[in-house]
Amino acid sequence: MSSTRDWFGTALVEIAREYDHVVVVNCDLAKATRTLPFKEEFPDRFFECGIAEANAIGVAAGLAQEGFRPFVASFGHFLTGKFLEIFQTVGLNDAGVVLVGTHAGLAIGRDGPTQMGLRDLALMRTLPNVGVFQPADGVETWQMTAHLATDRRPSYLRLCRQSLPEVHADGYRFRFGIPHVVRAGADVVVFAMGGTVPVAVEAADRLAARGIAPTVVNVSSLPVDRATVERLAGGHRQVLVVEDHYAVGGLADELGRIVLGLPDRPRYDVLAVPDYGQAGPPEDLYRRYRLDAPGIADRVAALLQDAPR
Amino acid sequence: MRGERTVAGPAERTDAARAERADVAGADAARIARLSTRCRLVLLEMIHRAGSGHAGSSLSCTDIIGVLKFDQMDRRADRSTGDVFVLSKGHAVPAWYAALIVDGDLPAEEVGTLRALDSRLQGHPDRTRLGLVDVSTGALGQGLSVAVGRALARRLHGRDSTVYCLLGDGECQEGQVWEAFLYAGAHRVPGLVAIIDHNGGQSDGAVADILPLYSLPEKLRAFGWHVDEVDGHDHGALRDVLRRRDRDRPSVIIAHTRKGRLGPDRVLLGGSHSDLPSAAEYAAAVDYLETLLEQGS
Repeated sequence: MSSTRDWFGTALVEIAREYDHVVVVNCDLAKATRTLPFKEEFPDRFFECGIAEANAIGVAAGLAQEGFRPFVASFGHFLTGKFLEIFQTVGLNDAGVVLVGTHAGLAIGRDGPTQMGLRDLALMRTLPNVGVFQPADGVETWQMTAHLATDRRPSYLRLCRQSLPEVHADGYRFRFGIPHVVRAGADVVVFAMGGTVPVAVEAADRLAARGIAPTVVNVSSLPVDRATVERLAGGHRQVLVVEDHYAVGGLADELGRIVLGLPDRPRYDVLAVPDYGQAGPPEDLYRRYRLDAPGIADRVAALLQDAPR
Repeated sequence: MRGERTVAGPAERTDAARAERADVAGADAARIARLSTRCRLVLLEMIHRAGSGHAGSSLSCTDIIGVLKFDQMDRRADRSTGDVFVLSKGHAVPAWYAALIVDGDLPAEEVGTLRALDSRLQGHPDRTRLGLVDVSTGALGQGLSVAVGRALARRLHGRDSTVYCLLGDGECQEGQVWEAFLYAGAHRVPGLVAIIDHNGGQSDGAVADILPLYSLPEKLRAFGWHVDEVDGHDHGALRDVLRRRDRDRPSVIIAHTRKGRLGPDRVLLGGSHSDLPSAAEYAAAVDYLETLLEQGS
């Protein structure tokens, strides 16, 4: 068990040994975002901008325009908070910057809502040339980091603080925009992303005792492939989207635009954070917002119970 | 004839060379002045035909852009080498489009397409639509950071070139500008030249009334930059000051300008930030600029 930020930090150094155009732009958070090993090995390719995210985003865009592949890392909440700067110097410039936003969702816990990445997806989804990436485990983090190092498009990599178990087999191949079934089931499909994927799998384990076997799908990159979502959702009567993000603007909106347009549309339900969040131990927060395994399991069971037979 | 001349002493030789250089420089400055006047005609036509655009802000930096485009900058077709130009005060982009047209980089037919649907000549510079724009700008305060990144990259690549960034003075109220000044000064980023078009005006009035910049040169020196000040409408002085820049650290030139300046004795619309000239004002401005050209400046 490790966190996606840990796996990212390790992967980035190894991948950077192969690709010398990979550089890092830091905003005084190299320890927290796990870019410190990169700094130690490649000091000439590490640009410390200090606590000045707007400038860091611009510097990264300039480096990208000159052929480098900059990873600019901070807490996702701080980085995407510089939305106007990302919109213009990354988006409208089509600058090949990788924005790395760590501490996604409620898991930052006691630091509270001023540090929580709960609206980053909503912001990044509005930029039509920016791809969103959120790995669910170590295998996927490695593959995404390698993909991002060699790709040239502007991207947002959303990483978690909490430790996660592996949900993919070693042979898993990440493909941009293609959701991946991590647990095949029937009747209800649960779409999750990043840190909520293993929690949804755990919920599926709990539901087995009640004779319920949901399908669990990892949606790890956006925009999502429409045909794949139509096929996955179309095979089920109920759809539940679980996300460690604000209820508006994130995964639920992305998938809802597809699922609710299906001719024989399934019931559609969303489990997400409906407010600003608050400080507290992460496990208490996930319990409060029903984003833990019991919460997800209860919601799935309720969905099936309420469904017309 | 040469053999008949008496041999000049060292002092005379130096004076003669200096005079010759001054003649060449004077001729060059006059050439840039004429081209800048032509740019003013083109940008006013663009804005007049579009019925929209920031004439005052474009006219205040036309001479700065003229010196960069027609004299200082090495802009090659392959944009990976040569110099870079970042127009951080993106609303003045008609001045850049005009320089591209006058220099033959853009077809003159496009003069009527400013701010039109599907045009490459967007209201603010957009490099995804026009490759002759190096950096997309428009929302103020962001261009200098990108210029810093490009200069850093060039140092890392070992490329000897210059990244120029033109900012407005009102724009210097944006915090990000000072993040970039702080970073580039602290890291002594070479090959970076910022030029502040110090016309003293912004959207709601005078910079001095809205939020004064007070002691701008002292502030910039304190941030570790080489600082120079110049008359931003004097082509010869602009060239000199650009050549005097520090090669080992970032340089900033505070160019004192007049918003809406047409020529030595004429300002459009009293120096308004974004007012549009009426048909009569436009016609009078064109007459004035054409007279300047006939007089050879």
